[in-house]
Amino acid sequence: MADHAISVQGLTKRFGRSTAVEDLSFTLATGTITGFLGPNGAGKTTTLRMLLGLAEPTAGTPLVFGRRYRDLEDPAHRVGAVLEATDFHPGRSGRDHVRTFAAATGIAATRVDEVLGLVDLAGAARRRVKTYSLGMRQRLGLAVALLGEPELLILDEPANGLDPEGVRWLRDFLRGFAAGGRTVLVSSHVLAEVAQTVDQVVIIDRGRLVTFAPLAALTSGVTGAVRVRSPEADRLLAALAAAGIEASTRLPGELLVRDAPSARIGEIAAAAGIVLHELVTEASSLEEVFLELTGREPS
Amino acid sequence: MSRLLRSEILKMRSTRTNLTLLVSMLLLVVVIVLVHGLTIHDVELASRSEQRSLLAVGAVGVIFAALVGIMSVTSEYRHGTIRPTFVFSPRRERVVCAKLFASLLVGTAFGVLAEGVAFGLGSGVLAARGAHLALGTGDALVLLFGTIGAAALWAAVGAGVGALVRSQVGAILGVVVWVFVLENILFGLLPGAGRFAPGPAGQAMTGEEAAHLLPPLAGVAVLAAEAAALGALGVLAELRRDVG
Repeated sequence: MADHAISVQGLTKRFGRSTAVEDLSFTLATGTITGFLGPNGAGKTTTLRMLLGLAEPTAGTPLVFGRRYRDLEDPAHRVGAVLEATDFHPGRSGRDHVRTFAAATGIAATRVDEVLGLVDLAGAARRRVKTYSLGMRQRLGLAVALLGEPELLILDEPANGLDPEGVRWLRDFLRGFAAGGRTVLVSSHVLAEVAQTVDQVVIIDRGRLVTFAPLAALTSGVTGAVRVRSPEADRLLAALAAAGIEASTRLPGELLVRDAPSARIGEIAAAAGIVLHELVTEASSLEEVFLELTGREPS
Repeated sequence: MSRLLRSEILKMRSTRTNLTLLVSMLLLVVVIVLVHGLTIHDVELASRSEQRSLLAVGAVGVIFAALVGIMSVTSEYRHGTIRPTFVFSPRRERVVCAKLFASLLVGTAFGVLAEGVAFGLGSGVLAARGAHLALGTGDALVLLFGTIGAAALWAAVGAGVGALVRSQVGAILGVVVWVFVLENILFGLLPGAGRFAPGPAGQAMTGEEAAHLLPPLAGVAVLAAEAAALGALGVLAELRRDVG
């Protein structure tokens, strides 16, 4: 148990008649960076709140370092978490916000300024939070989470509302954090946001586990579509149809073929004497993988 | 525990909300004392009960103290800071106890300032109008300490109600309706039972000489017991409910 940062077995949460999380199980080893993925409303936040002792499970017990969160000896020094980017009193300064948490656990004031510097907020620390941008608020939440130098960081949708620069900053930050052998669980409804950071993913949908796998396994198992460009696209479409292969017209002069390898398409074109300008197997984008796994239509 | 208490006091000091409440309270006390003190008829100036009601204006501090207590909990729910608070300190009973004690302390400060200003300014107005203080030392001490104590205990009552209700608007509205309407009706219709309600118990603490009120020390005991009971209910409520 000791080398599990998080262990969830048969976790279920019902609100009245609706089920937010159903029989969810996964175990995260220490030192891993895990993406916790699912569409909005899949039950990610509810799961994280149960992990952190804010919500009581209907069934199952989530364990953090082998214990229920509220039974941890010194949770502030083991676990850091950011659940909402909006959890601030607007009239309190960023520094005072962090200080209230430092005071609660006897963390020195020097550490307060240290974490504010770490998240690039030293210059704005004495301003009231209401003057902060969303990105600054996200980083202020992170400063609080880092106060106790935790071994495990849990972040719920940390990239929400960040500009590309902020997303890059977050990615670099998480890599640096995990480089020291520490554990990260980061949720997102957009796979691409975390794809460059995480080593494994837990994907849930409608409260149920869809996939728990290394990121590489997730992307390699999916076949891509073949994109064909031809001045005789209409003839090619008919030739493919005659061979029982379905294709769709994406742009004028361009077809997308889903269920045939590129070699087969080339042969059919050659047999019919059709000129091809381009024949490319497209790696399926991460988002398509994600949507495929969760059975949702691309919006 | 002392760490959590320090954290709660810091939360109360680090926004302008409580400072605004404090300044409003003191302005209100000054205005009421001046208006009241300057409009007493000359013939009634020496009256003990008239003087007492002037010097007791600090009682308005009690409702401000209750607001401070309520908001020590509900402000955290309103702004979502309750989530990181409970993540840092998952033993919720300790957090609620820290809020009760912090409210008690800040409520005491509100009581000291409200009644101190009311008593000082009121005595000054009486002296300026040439009246001798008709209130004995004992009565004056009961008034001073009773008002301060009522403010302290009402702040704790507020924190307990806040933990039970969680909603800021709901808790404030509930306490205001209770204190200014329901309790008055209860006390008017059934004074034998109504005098045990928190409002009349607080009034009793200050030595107010209205009919049917409890003696001051009984008032202390009743209000303290009610504050403790509400605090305990607040702890139980926090332990049982999810934080959304």
